[in-house]
Amino acid sequence: MATTTVSVRPNTYAGTAWSWITTVDHKRIAVLYFVTSLAFFALGGVEALLIRLQLSRPELDLVHPDRFAELFTMHGTTMVFLALMPLSAAFFNLLVPLMIGARDVAFPRLNALSYWVYLFGGIFLNISFIAGGAPAMGWFGYAPLTATEFADTHAVDFWAFGLQILGVSSILASINFIVTIINMRAPGMTFNRMPMFVWMTLITGFLIIFAFPVITIGLVLLLFDRYLGTSFFLYQGGGDPVLWQHLFWVFGHPEVYILILPAMGIVSDVLPTFSRKPLFGYAVVAYSGAAIALVGFGVWTHHMFTVGLGPVADTAFAISTMAVAVPTGVKIFNWIATLWGGSISLRTPMLFAIGFIAMFILGGLTGVSLGSPPVDTQVQDTYYVVAHLHYVLFGGTIFGLFAGIYFWFPKMTGRMLSEGWGKVHFWLMMIGFNLAFGPQHQLGIDGMPRRIHTYGADMGWDVWNLMSTVGAWTIGLSMLIFAINAVRSMRSGRDAGPDPWDGGTLEWSMSSPPPVYNFAEVPVVDDRYPVWKEKHGGGHTGAVVAEPPVADTEHDDEEPHIHMPNPSYWPILVAAGMVLAACGLIFHQVFVLLGALIFGISLIGWIEEPPG
Amino acid sequence: MRALMHGTHLRPRATGAVQRVIRRVSLGAALLLAALVLAACGVTPQTILEPTTEAARASHWLFLVVFWAGLAVFVVVEGALLYTIWRFRRRRGDTLPAQTHGNLKLEIGWTIAPTILVVLLAAFTVPVIFANAQEPEDDAIRVEAIGHQWWFEFSYPDLGVVTANELHLPVGKPAAIIIKSEDVLHSFWVPALRGKLDMVPGRTSVFRILPEQTGTFPGQCAEFCGTAHALMRFTVVVEEPEEFDAWAAHQLTDRVPPTSELAQAGEALLTPAGCALCHTIRGVTEIGTIGPDLTHVGSRTHIAANTMGMTRSDLEHWLRDSDDMKPGNLMILPRPLTEDEIEALTEYLMGLK
Repeated sequence: MATTTVSVRPNTYAGTAWSWITTVDHKRIAVLYFVTSLAFFALGGVEALLIRLQLSRPELDLVHPDRFAELFTMHGTTMVFLALMPLSAAFFNLLVPLMIGARDVAFPRLNALSYWVYLFGGIFLNISFIAGGAPAMGWFGYAPLTATEFADTHAVDFWAFGLQILGVSSILASINFIVTIINMRAPGMTFNRMPMFVWMTLITGFLIIFAFPVITIGLVLLLFDRYLGTSFFLYQGGGDPVLWQHLFWVFGHPEVYILILPAMGIVSDVLPTFSRKPLFGYAVVAYSGAAIALVGFGVWTHHMFTVGLGPVADTAFAISTMAVAVPTGVKIFNWIATLWGGSISLRTPMLFAIGFIAMFILGGLTGVSLGSPPVDTQVQDTYYVVAHLHYVLFGGTIFGLFAGIYFWFPKMTGRMLSEGWGKVHFWLMMIGFNLAFGPQHQLGIDGMPRRIHTYGADMGWDVWNLMSTVGAWTIGLSMLIFAINAVRSMRSGRDAGPDPWDGGTLEWSMSSPPPVYNFAEVPVVDDRYPVWKEKHGGGHTGAVVAEPPVADTEHDDEEPHIHMPNPSYWPILVAAGMVLAACGLIFHQVFVLLGALIFGISLIGWIEEPPG
Repeated sequence: MRALMHGTHLRPRATGAVQRVIRRVSLGAALLLAALVLAACGVTPQTILEPTTEAARASHWLFLVVFWAGLAVFVVVEGALLYTIWRFRRRRGDTLPAQTHGNLKLEIGWTIAPTILVVLLAAFTVPVIFANAQEPEDDAIRVEAIGHQWWFEFSYPDLGVVTANELHLPVGKPAAIIIKSEDVLHSFWVPALRGKLDMVPGRTSVFRILPEQTGTFPGQCAEFCGTAHALMRFTVVVEEPEEFDAWAAHQLTDRVPPTSELAQAGEALLTPAGCALCHTIRGVTEIGTIGPDLTHVGSRTHIAANTMGMTRSDLEHWLRDSDDMKPGNLMILPRPLTEDEIEALTEYLMGLK
């Protein structure tokens, strides 16, 4: 394997716009996911910068309180559903088939559908800004602020339908990747030899298909309340606003792990490469990921310690919450042990991966403090929680995802990102991040509630807020540098070659970008790091059952004739029909019919489409 | 092939310019940090670090336990991380490191270590949960705290007192705070007295506060409740029992009749200007129940849910353009008031001691 010459760069991405619209190639879909999710990431970032501007000084009047509420609602919603989850999905798309030795995912057209539903759903959600106002009740949509009585525009409907649409995308993608991982691994790629990123993708997939139905039900009930006059969440009709909180957090807490586990997978593959050592405690890292996911379903009411559910419920959920610290700590120890004894090279991906560990430790520790209800009732709904969640989701997830971007950008594009500017990006982001969110711990302790658009000069919060704003804009600057670096490197970055980092997993065995068919011959795997073994000798078998050793899979430079799935325009039409129908529920019923028609016809077209 | 695939030929090309940028940025950030830290030593009235009751002290104590334990773990683990990176940084001529895969004893060790910490923390936490859930005594002073968009109503069912945004409690006597909401979620939070409890429409929650120190303690709504969420504050005044009794007795009286001509003109405006539709001023009008009771509004220290002082200029500003002061507030005037009317009403309201 891995003998294609460096100079050959396959034209994986060549073609017309039509070829992109109809593509079912996981690598192209990954590119679409990357571009779209980073665009939404920028949008959510701009929203955050406006929030920070308004809070930079006490009693400022830059943003009207209603606009402010729209900004923090859309910032949260955008970052969770339109930026971080799809950015993880971009990595699933790019890497899972390459890492397990498959030519594509199990259901290529379904994969395209997931992307188009996501894109249209994201646009749909943001149309609300120009169609009478964006949702303004917080990303958690607590009842009864979502009730018609308190939200009489369509903002909440945009939010509820938007999340339903995005849920479809996530569930479809998860089923696709679960099936792919279970069924399409190359011969010899046992579960015990899968790259850790694939493990975390698998676990995340299960989290999504178990967690999303809960929010789906919640949103359906909410829409019943709004459209049909039911009272699931309205006490006047016998309902209970607390029911919504339960439904939301039964979904919402696993959602946090949906956001963090893929980044943990990325870090688990970056650290070994730049330490030149295999991942320490492979099985324990994998199982602790599964343990986090499992326990994650039993901790949701720690978001509700201030509701007054009683000491017994508080005790039970405090203990389950604290228990999460154990598998999380175990992961961190194993990562440090991976570094221990290695030959550590601080290239940009490695800096971000180490940044992930360093920042996530703090986010995890403040999480433990929030798991103690008597502490939580003091700092719940203050900036202490804002600081905590950003140390987990920014210090953790975003640092981890950037480690992945710097690590696999060469594989995806065939070119290196500039290392110097990458380091500037890292240090600016690291400084800006700590400046933005570090002081927020103190703000919470000083009693500053979340989601307030202004505060008095007499509260003693002004200096920390100013610091936080400076930090946020520093992060913004670092992202600008990243964007310029990415665009420039895509055009004129240095040639990456197949294996720029001396990697170990299968994706480093092929040209960059990989050819359309990925693998000329399906590889046979007998090691956790098959490419590393080829180069440096093996031993990371991780096998209980030893597979027969691999025959040499070298091939000549001729383009092999490999059957790949045909492009299809049905996925984008199905997605368009679905979102059009949702638009109809808000604007005019005729679009519901039209959307349903397009949806139905396209589904039939999809089913009837002849195999290539 | 083999040599090519070692990553070593791709050394970072950090140019002089880039390094200079890095140096300058880090220096600037360090200076800024130092300046801000120096400037940040101010007064923070709503801090959680100055508890004045047993319940708040218990939370505070637990916070300190978690904080110091967390800090210790933080220092050890971050230290281990940084030390490892420094010690095993790649050097010229590094050979392939030993390819270790794991170590069962280590895994068991670092599973047990956090487990012990967590069990200890749970052991500290659980008794506090139950202690803080203590039911109020039967003879506790009952206060209904009702959340409204965007102000707090406090009513003492046993005393017959109804007031807004200023909760009075006698020191040394337990109080049962009965927490409700009239519209959306709010949260009742006075950090000095105890942790917060959400005000949920359709639910009644009760918690006990036993004030130990006299003084004035700021509180604020902590659950997002719509447009003016940021401007929904209140104060708890803890006073000697005699002072409290005198306050309560005074609150029960009808409004102080206006003496000056200007104030009398103000009182005459209550109905024509629309005030009476929402506000009760006992002795004059008792039909309004939507807005805060104003019978003794002049005796309170603040207006507009404790976001503005009870001063002539703020009150005039409020009557002239309440939406400018507190965007989204639900006070609706049938017609704008004239400057003369504003002056008269201000004089009248300030006199309602």
